[in-house]
Amino acid sequence: MKDIAEQEVIDIGDMDVEAFNEYANEQGWSDGMPLFVPTEAKVAKFVDTVRGDNRPYPPVPPRQIVPTLQALAANAVMAGCKPEYFPVVTAALRGVLDPEYNLHGTLATTHSCAPMVMVSGPIRHELNINCGTNCFGQGRQANATIGRALGLMLLNVAGAKPGEMDRSTQGNPAKFTFCFGENEEENPWAPYHVQRGFAPTDSVVTVMSGEGPHNLNDHGSTTGDGLLTTFAGGMSNPGSNTIYGKGPMFVIIGPEHAATLKRDGFTIESIREELWKRSRVHLSRVSKENLVTYETTGHKPDGDWLSIGRDPKDIHITVAGGPGKHSAFIPSFGGTTVACTRIAR
Amino acid sequence: MRIFNPSFGMAAAGPAKVTLQPVNWATDAIALISNSKPNARELLEGVRAMLGAHRPVDNIHFHAKNSASQPAPKELIEKVAKNYKAALLALGD
Repeated sequence: MKDIAEQEVIDIGDMDVEAFNEYANEQGWSDGMPLFVPTEAKVAKFVDTVRGDNRPYPPVPPRQIVPTLQALAANAVMAGCKPEYFPVVTAALRGVLDPEYNLHGTLATTHSCAPMVMVSGPIRHELNINCGTNCFGQGRQANATIGRALGLMLLNVAGAKPGEMDRSTQGNPAKFTFCFGENEEENPWAPYHVQRGFAPTDSVVTVMSGEGPHNLNDHGSTTGDGLLTTFAGGMSNPGSNTIYGKGPMFVIIGPEHAATLKRDGFTIESIREELWKRSRVHLSRVSKENLVTYETTGHKPDGDWLSIGRDPKDIHITVAGGPGKHSAFIPSFGGTTVACTRIAR
Repeated sequence: MRIFNPSFGMAAAGPAKVTLQPVNWATDAIALISNSKPNARELLEGVRAMLGAHRPVDNIHFHAKNSASQPAPKELIEKVAKNYKAALLALGD
């Protein structure tokens, strides 16, 4: 292939950090924020952390090259990761390489989707990953750089250059980084990775090609039923991809909302069923032109309603965040899956 | 100072090479394939109408992907390869 970089190791002379960043920008390696220098010594430290995962990587679409561990580690170094974060980043990469994730489609689309990375299990605390207050936001090195490292891999290895292969109409701040931990300690139900069949002691990375978190504010409802009315109203969105490109979505419940739902007897399954029933979009909120498009592509309404997924199982639920009466809805690209990968250590 | 190239990778083994056969655009069967986004079908209808001014169109057929966001299914690709000498793809967006 013509665009494969020929040199695995590059001698850049006596560049300082600023000069390296200018050089990296010229090469198209940057997401726009400053990068760390991927020296041979730093990369070697990162590669040493993933000795428990010897499986070769498949070709990475759209560019279809087979990455070396050193090239992957170079991206994690540039992102500002600590070496011990690298197994989380490589597990996330394996997740987005699940064929059902549809990496090519999610990178090339005009939609704003970014790879959501959620970390579960003991490694959350070992790496100081934020699972509580401001978990989707700034402030922790692990959250900031793990998500960023995956984004740089998709830029430099997969070839998702904005305006070229990445055709997103408006993009999304989550494309810089989107990584958080589950708040398992305040989850009154099973953590997400346990819902998916992993052991509680496993550390697992879950990825989904999603939009950024949409806030679900409910300070007034004092019952689980009231909260679900608010959640469903926030999810019922005629502008969402999943109204026709059917696919998964996450509802990340804040701990206070979760406690109310648990008190009122709701389970993950019953929340899912209620949200499925209540989040449908009435046809009065859908344009006539869109309705024609949906029907001709096989997404017919059920009576006067359009669903926002294929079935209740498309609604994935867990708990994250800190004190406060907020939860979040994260719709996906649509034609994708929620992929879980156990972190090999 | 030496650095690792963050975009380095090994070339994947490519698919077997296909020998393209010549197409007789005046008579051969042609598949018109939509990516299932708005206006792709309309574009293909225009192409078919223009071809109709020069040749028979009874063996020019419309096809579409199941989903705009997913790759064309293997069955569709095999069907087109088996039944047509040429395919024109329209990308609506």
